[in-house]
Amino acid sequence: MKINNWKMAVSAVVVATLLGLGAMAAGAAEIRVLNWKGYGTDDDWAVAAFKKKTGYTVVHDYFNSEQEMLTKLRTNPGAYDVVLINSSFTAKAKDEGLISRIDTSEITNFADLAPNMAASPDLAPGGAVYGVAWTWGLTSFAINTRKVKPVPNSIQVLWDKKYKGRIGWRDDAVEAMQLAALATGQNINDIKDLDAVKAKLEALMPQIKTYWSSENDWNQFFAAGDFVMAPYWSGSAARSAAKGLPVKFIVPKEGAIGWLDGLSIPTGAKNRAAARAFINYMIDPEFYVRWAAEGAPASANAKAAAALPESNINRNTLGDPAVIARVQFMRPIPDQRRKQYLEIWQELKTNAQ
Amino acid sequence: MMNMNRLLSNVGRVYLGIIIVFLYVPIFVMALMSFNASEFYQLPMDYTTIWYRKLWNNSEILDAAWNSLWIACVTTVIATVLGTAAAIAFFRYEFRGKAILQALLFPPIAIPWLITGTAMLIFFFSIGLGRGSKAVILGHVALALPYVIVVVTARLRTFDPQLEEAARSLGANGWAVTRFVTLPWIASGVIAGALFAFAVSFDQFVVSYFLTQPGDSTLPVVIYSAIRKGFTPEINAVSTLIIALSMTVMLLAARYAKFGGER
Amino acid sequence: MVARGGGPATSAAVLVTPAYIWLTAAVFLPLSMMLFFSFLSDVPFTDHAWRATLENYGEFFQKPFYATLLWRSLKLGATVTGLCILIGFPCAFVLAKTIRGRWREALFLLVILPFWSNSLVRIFSWAIVLRGNGVIDATLNAILPFDVSVNLMFTYSAVIIGLVHSYLPYVILTSYLALQAIDDDLIDAARSLGASRRTILWRIILPLSLPGLLAGAVLIFVPVVGSFMEPRILGGRAGTFFGTVIEDQFVAVFNWPLGAALSFILLAVVLLILAASSPVLKRAQ
Repeated sequence: MKINNWKMAVSAVVVATLLGLGAMAAGAAEIRVLNWKGYGTDDDWAVAAFKKKTGYTVVHDYFNSEQEMLTKLRTNPGAYDVVLINSSFTAKAKDEGLISRIDTSEITNFADLAPNMAASPDLAPGGAVYGVAWTWGLTSFAINTRKVKPVPNSIQVLWDKKYKGRIGWRDDAVEAMQLAALATGQNINDIKDLDAVKAKLEALMPQIKTYWSSENDWNQFFAAGDFVMAPYWSGSAARSAAKGLPVKFIVPKEGAIGWLDGLSIPTGAKNRAAARAFINYMIDPEFYVRWAAEGAPASANAKAAAALPESNINRNTLGDPAVIARVQFMRPIPDQRRKQYLEIWQELKTNAQ
Repeated sequence: MMNMNRLLSNVGRVYLGIIIVFLYVPIFVMALMSFNASEFYQLPMDYTTIWYRKLWNNSEILDAAWNSLWIACVTTVIATVLGTAAAIAFFRYEFRGKAILQALLFPPIAIPWLITGTAMLIFFFSIGLGRGSKAVILGHVALALPYVIVVVTARLRTFDPQLEEAARSLGANGWAVTRFVTLPWIASGVIAGALFAFAVSFDQFVVSYFLTQPGDSTLPVVIYSAIRKGFTPEINAVSTLIIALSMTVMLLAARYAKFGGER
Repeated sequence: MVARGGGPATSAAVLVTPAYIWLTAAVFLPLSMMLFFSFLSDVPFTDHAWRATLENYGEFFQKPFYATLLWRSLKLGATVTGLCILIGFPCAFVLAKTIRGRWREALFLLVILPFWSNSLVRIFSWAIVLRGNGVIDATLNAILPFDVSVNLMFTYSAVIIGLVHSYLPYVILTSYLALQAIDDDLIDAARSLGASRRTILWRIILPLSLPGLLAGAVLIFVPVVGSFMEPRILGGRAGTFFGTVIEDQFVAVFNWPLGAALSFILLAVVLLILAASSPVLKRAQ
């Protein structure tokens, strides 16, 4: 090997390194947000609007599961200013000292939040606000309106042999157990008859064609015809429908799983005032109505929710009291239970092959 | 006899051709889809260059691609130098603990990178190194080293140690022997090791995922995050561009560097 | 091989130490920490009280599905490695012995290039090719006069195809390096002495290129056994393997001790397999 070439290669790399280091210069006034990707906080227009209002640049980091979110908080103290935490995880984050109490006096829109959500014992244990209620939605299932007729009203349709091998399913142990709990008429937060749930899931396995783990997966498989119905989230169903897919979200008579997402401020956050301003913007109708037009979950801000057009799923379906009456909201699950669910689920998946 | 040879040669060439086609099927599809308007990769094709135009404006992806590139370059240089040195040492010398050292090369490639990545994150966090490009390079080089060592060793096994002895008996010292006798012979192995190291680093997702900082990510991490919600064919566009770029670099290298041996 | 030159121990140390210091700092220390975690009930940096325990390893032996999955992953590893060798070695042979000159280098680079494409994107591209109404389906329907429906997605075969495609270049590369070093004169001499083609292959070429072949095999088998990306994306319901279960311990629940224990069990099994085949590996030297 020619030594000259070697020297040239090394010089090139050194130059590249120096250029790279230069490119790494950090921004000045910025806040760091930790969230799911594409979940509202990182919409270009939102970030631009916030910068215009406050002068702060919003820098995002993403997670792909709640466990990852917790890991990032644990191993990066002070790295984030705002974090999205589902209400069933807020207590855990608080107990581990990962998030701190939020002073809502400066968050002007806080007063407009639906009282049951703002004061949810999961987000505001003992009245101290650790998570500002931001969005909520349902986990149920969605169908392909062209291929599934008539429109079902029961969750048992997922077990219908007619659709064998044409069901999608989310590869999430907790969700699987909770949906099976709904199908066996149980309380999702306190499953007494685990055997019934297990048997129900065993019967489900042959129906499943594939697992999905992201909205993108769901859309692709749906569009390709890999499944004609699958569990899904209300906000995501709205987004998929907005993209032109023949999706209809069903809240069956057995009910649906409800979830509530809150925005929290990690301990050690560097820009708490800016973080509060960001949260205030996120629960503002100005942000929400525009976001909902693209497809979004329901807002916890009653004013914002009322500002939606009638056609929006969050208004007509999630705003219907009869529907809400059937919804079971998710509560925190002890770690031990989670591990147990995972084990059952993994065993089911293994034996299903 | 000659005809049989000719026939076998041709069969061989056709076979090679088929394998190359197989290797390029997904790349071809990836490139094709980068020109397809359908967001969900639906056929039939609907030609457009919109994704390339969007890519040009997508600073997140472009920054990440650039990051991946220079990190991979640095990783390649370090891993190739360290790895080749170690491989030569294993080849030339017998010493106590050699077998253990060689066995220790396996954990990095045997243990799922997920574990190694998490372990690195915690460890770097506890020693105060934290996340960022330094941590990423630290991790990438460590992952690439076993590959470099294995590949260079495989090449060294075809090297006749008597050549080294002969050189030494003529008075050359260790470094001179390495530089003038060993390295030229194993050059193809070293370069192969370097290519491996580059590929390992450039495509490394799992470990990078844990060690990169927000706003300062690598391409595979950005791609993976994008895939979770709203994977647009911009990803295909950037991947196609990278392959095209690599192809150009490779072909240039082939013109000017001879590492296919004398024949 | 014998030690040569002045001060062999120091020379060896100088050459080997930098690499291993790096590996220690970046890999062995973190992994040791993980090994430590595998013997705990909870990780130390949360508030839960933690204690030493063998429970995590016990899980593997108590719940039969873990062993089932490990076996399945090992089979996957063996299948993929076997296929890669069968397909890749002849490829490397043709490249090293039949093709000459500039073409050889160009083709070699062409074979290596897919290495540098992003593996996630590659896997998704396979999904587009293999699924119903995907590239294969559409192409066959366009060519054949009758209707066919080809949907390979979410099957074991899809996982195999994806993995073989990803790892094939490894074995081609390492075999090529070894084959290329075989002196053609050796082969000519054998032929002039009347050796048949089969004899030459069996007694000259294979033995001499075995180190390269085996290096490639190891580089393929080891990661495939722990793989989780290809199985998840291409396998669907058929995509649960040991690697995916380990991943779940970190991503779906906060059970690092179990994840760590399962990984080290995997490592132990892999090392055992390599140790058991070391007589064969030794012969290659």
